[in-house]
Amino acid sequence: FQEQAEQFFRSGHTNNWAVLVCTSRFWFNYRHVANTLSVYRSVKRLGIPDSHIVLMLADDMACNPRNPKPATVFSHKNMELNVYGDDVEVDYRSYEVTVENFLRVLTGRIPPSTPRSKRLLSDDRSNILIYMTGHGGNGFLKFQDSEEITDVELADAFEQMWQKRRYNELLFIIDTCQGASMYERFYSPNIMALASSQVGEDSLSHQPDLGIGVHLMDRYTFYVLEFLEEIHPASQTNMNDLFQVCPKSLCVSTPGHRTDLFQRDPQDVLITDFFGSVRKVEITSETVSLESGLAGFESKLPKDELATEPLKYAEQLPVAQIIHQKPKQKDWHPPGGFILGLWALIIMVFFKTYGIKHMKHIF
Amino acid sequence: MAAPLVLVVLVAVTIRAALYRSSLAAFISERVEVSSPLNAWKRVVEGLALLDLGVSPYAGAVFHETPLIIYLFHFLIEYAEMVFMITDVLTAVALYLAIQDFNKVVFKKQKLLIELDKYAPDVAELIQTPMEMHYTPLKVALFYLLNPYTVMSCVAKSTCAINNTVIAFFILATIKGSAFLSAVFLALATYQSLYPLTLFAPALLYLLQRQFIPVKLKSKGFWLYTMQYAALYLCSLVVIICLSFFLLNSWDFIPAVYGFILSVPDLTPNIGLFWYFFAEMFEHFSLFFVCVFQINVFFYTIPLAIKLKEHPVFFLFVQIAIISVFKSYPTVGDIALYMAFLPVWSHLYRFLRNIFIPSCVLIVCSILFPVLWHLWIYAGSANSNFYYAITLTFNVGQIQLISDYFYAFLRREYYLSHGLHLTRQDGTEAMLVLK
Repeated sequence: FQEQAEQFFRSGHTNNWAVLVCTSRFWFNYRHVANTLSVYRSVKRLGIPDSHIVLMLADDMACNPRNPKPATVFSHKNMELNVYGDDVEVDYRSYEVTVENFLRVLTGRIPPSTPRSKRLLSDDRSNILIYMTGHGGNGFLKFQDSEEITDVELADAFEQMWQKRRYNELLFIIDTCQGASMYERFYSPNIMALASSQVGEDSLSHQPDLGIGVHLMDRYTFYVLEFLEEIHPASQTNMNDLFQVCPKSLCVSTPGHRTDLFQRDPQDVLITDFFGSVRKVEITSETVSLESGLAGFESKLPKDELATEPLKYAEQLPVAQIIHQKPKQKDWHPPGGFILGLWALIIMVFFKTYGIKHMKHIF
Repeated sequence: MAAPLVLVVLVAVTIRAALYRSSLAAFISERVEVSSPLNAWKRVVEGLALLDLGVSPYAGAVFHETPLIIYLFHFLIEYAEMVFMITDVLTAVALYLAIQDFNKVVFKKQKLLIELDKYAPDVAELIQTPMEMHYTPLKVALFYLLNPYTVMSCVAKSTCAINNTVIAFFILATIKGSAFLSAVFLALATYQSLYPLTLFAPALLYLLQRQFIPVKLKSKGFWLYTMQYAALYLCSLVVIICLSFFLLNSWDFIPAVYGFILSVPDLTPNIGLFWYFFAEMFEHFSLFFVCVFQINVFFYTIPLAIKLKEHPVFFLFVQIAIISVFKSYPTVGDIALYMAFLPVWSHLYRFLRNIFIPSCVLIVCSILFPVLWHLWIYAGSANSNFYYAITLTFNVGQIQLISDYFYAFLRREYYLSHGLHLTRQDGTEAMLVLK
């Protein structure tokens, strides 16, 4: 019984989201797009729907003029797996993949005109998977060859998310050179982070395909993908197994992880808590009655607000009044003292010049 | 002589009224050559509107007119066109009467000098006769009223016309000999635009001449009269400024009018020399150069006073011309005023050496001003250097005109006292040059 209860309280999440970001463009960064699309494919296969995935790609691989197999993005050298497929929904494509848009997606500070598919509508019961790949360095990640996001910015964004209750638990995976530097600054609770290489190490690509002419995937994600191919929605594999993926002998770089901010033991965290969308279903045979708490509301509406007549369209602007407006009366008048002084002076000058006795000649 | 004057006035008023009704009025009032930040009509309307809204018109650097102009236009703003036509007519009439009196003065002086045998024997052809000077006042009025510059300035409703009227009345009062009125009008003119301060010297010289007080620095009579005139002038100026305080109960107008004229903050292009310089000057030099440029206006007064102390009205003419060339915001209205005087010196025609070039320069530059403005601002294929070049050329043309007249005047005076055929010591023919 206790185990049942434990299982029930194992994770507090009710929905899953995924934010998958590929920060590179151009043909020679084919592998980053393939990385992201592989994770996208796995995540979709394990149950997270497109409406809960925010996919940010430069999306210039499948239709690139240099792609000998147009409309495909392969993840394995024998062209076994086309991760582009027919149902890829890219939410932020091409030049929309910017640091600003990424941070806006995470924090929810999005202009009101943004469509739903481009929003991360998570709540405090959401488990979010954030996967980033591209070119990085010690403390930064390069976005589309023109700007960078720093580890501090990312940590602050996650803190904003925590304060706005936008996640329950967050899994952050990064596959770039010196990727561990990106998670070192996190300070918000309930974040688990994985990186493909430590500070000072480069993440290497897996294998080139001589038919396509570029490297198809990075090593770390390749092995993660292999690992994920064996997961199904009901599997009980936990995070500790994910930490063992891609040892140094296979990956050449040392993958790292960070769990100190995470409240649960990684052994109790299922892979499907983040990569899948496993709903908790509780079957009950009792009937539940909902009380109507809305009865008291209608009487509270003030009656007098509805009494005024609605304006007809033609009457909204008093045009007749405006057209026949008389010119505004002048409000300012020179002070009396001034007028008196001025005319006194003028009369003085006049009489000084002409003399009072000459008045009769003038008038 | 009244009838031709009335005819001229009627023609001028008709031209102005016709232009007011045409579409050119809006175009002309926008031209920077005609309206400057100091005397644009738009700014007068703006200032009065601000006043109606309860805000001081000097708040914000829009309105740079004196409080007396506020008072004048507060009641007359609906009749603005009539006001400007009447001011033009008044200026012309004042100049007419002034030149009439001046002719009488010239005759008297000539007669005196002939009787005193101050003239050389062979200069009979140089002496002015009443016949040829009969039409000069009418020509002066004609030159002023029908000058295209004046017409444009009137159509644009630039308050430069009011300044011209005050200066014309000042000239009339001076030539009639009334020191009091002359001081009052000079104070009004200075109050409006500061630069007529330099006209104090020619007016003083004229009045001294009229009172037969010789201009000697040691003479007590000279200093007494000077002090009297200066006191009259300064007192009227102080009274007018204090009176203006009571219009709005604030001293705001002093930095807005005089501070603006002296420190030249607005660098809108005009036909003057200030804007281009100060547009490209570094901040820490601008104070020095503002002082240099402003001193330039006042600087010529003393040397000219020394040279032309016998001929104060010509000095007045040259001084007005110098003001209109070197002032901080000149417009064509200022030029129109001194050009009105040119018929008075028409007897100098035979001594003018290069009248052709300055006249061509002035005409061509006046035509090129709107052309290069259009190219600079609207077409974008020229830049400010083009416009400034034309400004410079225009001012050089004006200066050449003035110095040509100056030279001709002095040459005639020399011939009058030394005879027409000058010979050197060894008997060969000599030529006068202005060093």
